[in-house]
Amino acid sequence: MSKNVIEVNHLKVRFNMATEKVDNLKEYAIKLVKHQLMFQEFIALQDITFQVKKGEAWGLVGPNGCGKSTLLKAVSGILQPYEGTVKVKGKISPLIELGAGFDKNLTARENIYLNGLVLGHSRKFMEEHFDEIVEFADIEDFLDAPLKNFSSGMKARLGFAVATVVNPDILIVDEALEVGDMRFRRKCNERMQQMLDGGTTLLYVSHNIDSVKGLCDKAIWIDHGKMRMIGDSQEVCDAYRDDQNETIRVRKEERRARLRAQGAKYDYLVVGAGLTGAVFAREMAKAGKRCLVIDKRSHIGGNVYTEDVDGIQVHRYGPHVFHTNDEKIWKYVNRFADFNHYIYSPLAVYRDELYNLPFNMNTFSRLWNLKKPQEVREKIAAQIVPSIEKNASRLDCTVEEYALSQVGPDIYEKLIRGYMEKQWGRDCKELPASLLCELPLRFTYDNRYFEDSFQGIPVGGYTALVEKLLENTDVMTDTDFFIYREEHPGMFDRVLYTGMIDAYFDFCYGHLEYRSARFETERVEETDYQGSAVIINTDREVPYTRVIEYRHFTPELEHPKEYSIISREYPLEWNPEAETSSTEKNALHSVAVGTDTAEPYDPVRDKKNRLLYEKYRELADREENVIFSGRLGTYQHYDMDQAIAAAMELAQNEKLRFRRKRVKDVSD
Amino acid sequence: MKLLNYRIKTFFKYKDLIIELVSRDLKLKYRRSFLGYAWTVLQPLMMMMVWVIVFSNILGRNIENYPVFLLSGRMMYDFLSQSTTGAMKSVTGNSALIRKVNVPKYIFTLARVTSCMVDMVLSFGALFIVMLVTGAKFYWTLVMIPLVVIQIYIFCCGLGFFLAQFNVFFRDTEHIYGAILRALLYMTPILYEITRLPEKLQLFIKVFNPLYYYVGQFRDIVYYGNVPGPRIFWGGWIIAFLMLAIGIWAFQRSKDRFILYI
Repeated sequence: MSKNVIEVNHLKVRFNMATEKVDNLKEYAIKLVKHQLMFQEFIALQDITFQVKKGEAWGLVGPNGCGKSTLLKAVSGILQPYEGTVKVKGKISPLIELGAGFDKNLTARENIYLNGLVLGHSRKFMEEHFDEIVEFADIEDFLDAPLKNFSSGMKARLGFAVATVVNPDILIVDEALEVGDMRFRRKCNERMQQMLDGGTTLLYVSHNIDSVKGLCDKAIWIDHGKMRMIGDSQEVCDAYRDDQNETIRVRKEERRARLRAQGAKYDYLVVGAGLTGAVFAREMAKAGKRCLVIDKRSHIGGNVYTEDVDGIQVHRYGPHVFHTNDEKIWKYVNRFADFNHYIYSPLAVYRDELYNLPFNMNTFSRLWNLKKPQEVREKIAAQIVPSIEKNASRLDCTVEEYALSQVGPDIYEKLIRGYMEKQWGRDCKELPASLLCELPLRFTYDNRYFEDSFQGIPVGGYTALVEKLLENTDVMTDTDFFIYREEHPGMFDRVLYTGMIDAYFDFCYGHLEYRSARFETERVEETDYQGSAVIINTDREVPYTRVIEYRHFTPELEHPKEYSIISREYPLEWNPEAETSSTEKNALHSVAVGTDTAEPYDPVRDKKNRLLYEKYRELADREENVIFSGRLGTYQHYDMDQAIAAAMELAQNEKLRFRRKRVKDVSD
Repeated sequence: MKLLNYRIKTFFKYKDLIIELVSRDLKLKYRRSFLGYAWTVLQPLMMMMVWVIVFSNILGRNIENYPVFLLSGRMMYDFLSQSTTGAMKSVTGNSALIRKVNVPKYIFTLARVTSCMVDMVLSFGALFIVMLVTGAKFYWTLVMIPLVVIQIYIFCCGLGFFLAQFNVFFRDTEHIYGAILRALLYMTPILYEITRLPEKLQLFIKVFNPLYYYVGQFRDIVYYGNVPGPRIFWGGWIIAFLMLAIGIWAFQRSKDRFILYI
């Protein structure tokens, strides 16, 4: 008990509030006569109880006007408690607040003395420590300038320097340091840290949650004059921050609901709630535009949609591993979800042989039992079949010709052939080599599939990420664009269309082709089915191409012990006629485990389809208030980071467009 | 007793602050003016000239050396008026400090009255200049000036405390007090001799106007060269301490509530 330097017990502070300020005699007399002299009372603080031990650092957090400063005032004795007690042992520093107690007409030199004396130091003491203060505040050149010419940062520096000239037993800081520059803030933090180490007790108020976290071990969250939470500063600060964010979100939601009720027009109708649409909607909402995001599927997220099955995130439309080289994009997505550092390194299984992918030394040593890169190089060089000319273009030959000329028969037979033939449903002798991506051979033992600097999986699933992106946007799922447009023609100004471009023009030139796949998801009664997130099957006789076991994407999470969820991927011809029925099936499909239906996945970018797309593109360019974007809207494959980058760029262009329009309106 | 001890101790702890506040007031008053401290003397001189020109023919016809007569009264009044007006605003005006640091609040009031007192003492220079120029006699009674200064200083402290706390709760005080001061100026024999007034009014002033005691004493010492009579001398002391007691009581009673109103 004796160690408590501050003891606050059921503190209550009451103000007579100025809703009806009686501060002239006439009113006072009238009210006195009428016995109305009851002030509107305002309980600034209520039932505050806490003990601070010597040497502890306490942070006070809470929204503006919640009573933080009032509490500091009560502790420093400026305010008397209305009820309860405040006991303080030791010398207390003043409230260090922006420009506290300075006379703006006096010079800095005079103010140092005045301020020091106000703090109860003697003149002699101040003379002794004058140089020290000036040095810390870093204002040598302005000592004889009146304080009114000082910047707020300089005033804060001076105030802090004077207040900390002696080690007080209790240091009280009230948002004083926010205005200082970084160098000074660091200096102050060092000084405070020093004082803390020297046994000073700190009470610290700041709206900068991170600085509270960094400096304080304990924290109190005050809300409307009451203690909402008390305890470890990390926990309290996090809870407070979450609550603040939630409050902001709710307020925005209310505003949106109000506008919705009024039937206000949207600035943008975003068709498709995938990554492209969500990022675009978020960026535009941030710029103050109202967006409505619709999706004909029953959920948001587009193809990155993940479904939570007992804590396992099932990637409903194929496994997605986020990877990017762009730090900006990485930081951006990390704002909306916690990413782990999962590194995609798939395996390939051929009959009973298991190989690492992509083709690297692990693969080769398994194939040929060779250890040194040089041996492998020689082996491959000896195997290569020079069936085509060395510098022939990939476009002019078949997959088989190309693969044989690049990697030789062993790799082709075991790891390429079966996969490609399953994937495309045709013989490799007929498939154009353009379908094959580059075949990089790595002569290191490196199993990373992507070489990007940033890679990971959002631990809570992609759906949560997209949900966060769409936090401040109106969303309607199960809504078909063409029906909506017909029913609400005047509800939007512009459209961002991320659906199929040929569908927009009613397939007037015919259908564009896509690759598709079917995912058969099943629950297996094993804790660990295959020991890896993705294993590719390259055996022609096995109908599926990949097996995905989702728990391995997030190894840091607790997963069910008794069973695991896996999906088998079956390549599929995509049939445009079946497309409409597939969405219906998908909407009905609410059980997590089962068979998914065909969706248009990757565009088939061959010559025929490219030419067809160009024709649609021309039509699209003529549509005035519709922007075509995304994989289906521009008929091209996007990695997730590329989709995000493209959507952000699009949003940027739209903002510029608004700015230009405004300038034009003004000049008109 | 313990409390008193504590009070005295804090008072001494803050004595440097009082000195600093007084010097701040004095410094700021004439800072950036060309003539600076010379104004403490020049200002009353100029004021006096105006008053003499205006009133010497109306009210001062029968008064010998009207400038000294006028100035000796006027200085007491000016001190009272400036110090108490300043004191009245001392708490509200220093709200920035009071809200942030736990300082005894009377320090500000006391410092204000004190700085006005120093100002007055300095402006005695103006009085002596006028006396020299007009060829007035310098009586031995001048040595008693400090006695009067202390009396009126104590009185003004008391009144200042009272007004300072009152003004926190009712800002109207500032306006009302301005009118009261104006009335006081004419109700006190400053421009005229008290004998010019009707008997009844004379009696009223002698009983109810505290300033009369100080103006009377000061004028006795400076202008007439008399030792003040026991009635106004002791009366002056009693009124001063009475006012101080009232002021301190009122201030002490309400000082903890200041923070809620400033």
